Amino acid sequence: MDTLAILRSMLLIRAFEDALIKRPDHGFQLLSSGQEAVAVGVCAALHDGDQLLSSGRSIGPALARGLDPGIVMAELLGKAAGPCGGKAGRGHLAQPSAGFFGAHAVVAGNLTIAAGVALAMQLQGPSHIVACLFGDGACGAGALHETLNIAALWKLPLLLVCDNNQYSVSTRRSEALAPARLSDLAMPFGIPSATVDGMDVTAVYDAALAFAQRARSGEGPAFLECVSYRFASHSTATRETRSAAELKAARELCPIRRFAAQLEEQGGLTAGIRETLERDVDGQITEAMRFADSAAYPLASEALVDGV
Amino acid sequence: MASEMASATVKLFYREAIARAVREEMMRDPRVILIGQDVAAMGGSYKEFVGLFEQFGASRVRNTPVAEASMIGLGVGAAAAGMRPLVSITYMDFLMLGLDPLVNYGAKLRYKSGGQLSAPVVVKTTAGAKGQGVAHSQCIESWLMNVPGLKIVAPATPADAYGLLKSALREDGPVLYVDHKRLFPGAGEVPCVEDLIPIGKSILRRHGRDITIVAHSYMVRVAEAAADRLAAEGISCEIIDLRSLAPLDLAAICESVARTSALLTLEEGQIPCGVGGEIAFRVQEELGPVRVARVGALPVPVSSNPVLEAACIPDAERVCQAVRQILSASRNPVRNVSQ
Amino acid sequence: MNYKLIVPGPIEDVEEVRVLEWHGTPGRTFAAGELIVELETHKAIVEVRAAKQGVLRRILCEAGGWRKIGEPLALLSDDPASPLPESADGLAAMLVEFEVT
Repeated sequence: MDTLAILRSMLLIRAFEDALIKRPDHGFQLLSSGQEAVAVGVCAALHDGDQLLSSGRSIGPALARGLDPGIVMAELLGKAAGPCGGKAGRGHLAQPSAGFFGAHAVVAGNLTIAAGVALAMQLQGPSHIVACLFGDGACGAGALHETLNIAALWKLPLLLVCDNNQYSVSTRRSEALAPARLSDLAMPFGIPSATVDGMDVTAVYDAALAFAQRARSGEGPAFLECVSYRFASHSTATRETRSAAELKAARELCPIRRFAAQLEEQGGLTAGIRETLERDVDGQITEAMRFADSAAYPLASEALVDGV
Repeated sequence: MASEMASATVKLFYREAIARAVREEMMRDPRVILIGQDVAAMGGSYKEFVGLFEQFGASRVRNTPVAEASMIGLGVGAAAAGMRPLVSITYMDFLMLGLDPLVNYGAKLRYKSGGQLSAPVVVKTTAGAKGQGVAHSQCIESWLMNVPGLKIVAPATPADAYGLLKSALREDGPVLYVDHKRLFPGAGEVPCVEDLIPIGKSILRRHGRDITIVAHSYMVRVAEAAADRLAAEGISCEIIDLRSLAPLDLAAICESVARTSALLTLEEGQIPCGVGGEIAFRVQEELGPVRVARVGALPVPVSSNPVLEAACIPDAERVCQAVRQILSASRNPVRNVSQ
Repeated sequence: MNYKLIVPGPIEDVEEVRVLEWHGTPGRTFAAGELIVELETHKAIVEVRAAKQGVLRRILCEAGGWRKIGEPLALLSDDPASPLPESADGLAAMLVEFEVT
């Protein structure tokens, strides 16, 4: 586990979103702040050639997968220099050549698609796998049941990762879903599962790595639930429904603070290294913003391209 | 000798034409796979996939559970990742269960990914009323004609089933391929040598002077029966078999209506927002006002009851009545012929 | 007496059939109950059996050929040597049993 790379990746996501949200033109965003450890821990277990799919909460996953922050920002701002030409935005952000098969903004809409991508991988031979990130909000959908069933039957190389931030917009998990432990959803299908602390990147990484290796060797799918907490409201268009006290308590669980403290304690992170990392990340974000700001919008005629 | 071979045909059951198309494409391209309910050892509900499981094995020919959303999602996702799946949805009615992956992902994929990805998947289904009740009878192709990024084809003969399915399996995006239950008992001549029918091209089934009838799928046979009856009354009908619903072959329809000056659209789906409404408007956009009417199912669910089903679905006599009415109408557009 | 063997019917949902396999050649006597010919519909096989003894005299439609319900497939006789007419027109239909499998 490249601990500094992992710390840096989480720092990058946080800094990116902090910079994004300061802009008056930030647009309609679903932020990953607070949930960085889930995307980063999972991505650290993926190889080149694997594919990651995500929900509409895509910024953390895309950056964790290694997409360049400049082109991610360009896509979010609707610039032609984005990997999707500005036509996807955050909701459908994708760069399959970089192993990010893409976000899909329909809740639970990417699950059966991910199973299909895994089927293709299985048929094409090499030992690549598919990881699909989704929230607790997707767990009430029939699509999850169907995906679990077919993944188990066909032993698809599919790692299903439920980033359970415990709320579906304003609805608590306990109001929306009967099982308290979401990884139990995999049990009837005989799919190995685990629930880990999603604010602990080491726990996420260890579990994801084990399941990924299992899938890679042809033993089939797994379901990993990472219990996390989002620091912002569900989206920039949704008002916050949690109390100030609850939010304050959540911030104490910050995965970046926690991991940094761990590394410091183990001697792997000094103040100097930390400063360097943060300066590096800030520089990268500044450059990303500059790049995206100076990039052009697509021509209106682009609306007609690739539509049929 | 070459031209003899090129025009040589063999008479096949409709289902055999389908099996042959799929077998040829699976032999030609290892990326073609078949998934659906009962497609493996059983060979399909209409025996339209007989022999494929034995020839290509369980990896490429897979039975699925009754789960249309994931069946289509699997197909769309596998297509996006480099395969060329054929997804068999036994009843068109249940296509509805898989519209999210087909429309929200598959049809939009090339666009939303900025051209990085596309989903070359064929969703093959069977439409039509044949005594099986309100939820096993529908023809909903018109629902999907305005989905950007989705092509739709509907053959009316074994030769066209063969040629269109082959073309569909070579397209670079999603194609909805629609059979009809009442086409399966039929047989027809199919070219011996590989023949692909281009998507977006209709075919003239009959030359005529007095009116252009535009139909697709099983309704082409109803149009032909009506045209036979009308010929005895001295009315000469031109019949265009659409073959493709998206894209539509407007050029061929307009060329015909420019000669006949009368248009009747015929479909088994319900009239409102149907195939005919789109065609009628676009022809008049091109040619100006022409005498035009639509014939389709009554705007009610189609029951399994034989009396009620027959009352709902267009037959040759209804088409004849509509043709007589439109040709004797003193005003345009003709009112109250939609039925 | 001479008979015509016709495609039996009605068979639900069947417009035409393809001859799959003749189970004998001209000259063969079929006892009651014996399988004379198998026909293929779009979804099933039809086994056509003699309902009474008869001699197959002339096959009018070889395997692979197509016929509609009621059309003649072969000529049969009670007597293996009786002179045969040119066509099946006017002949009585051979009594058969058929099973759709």
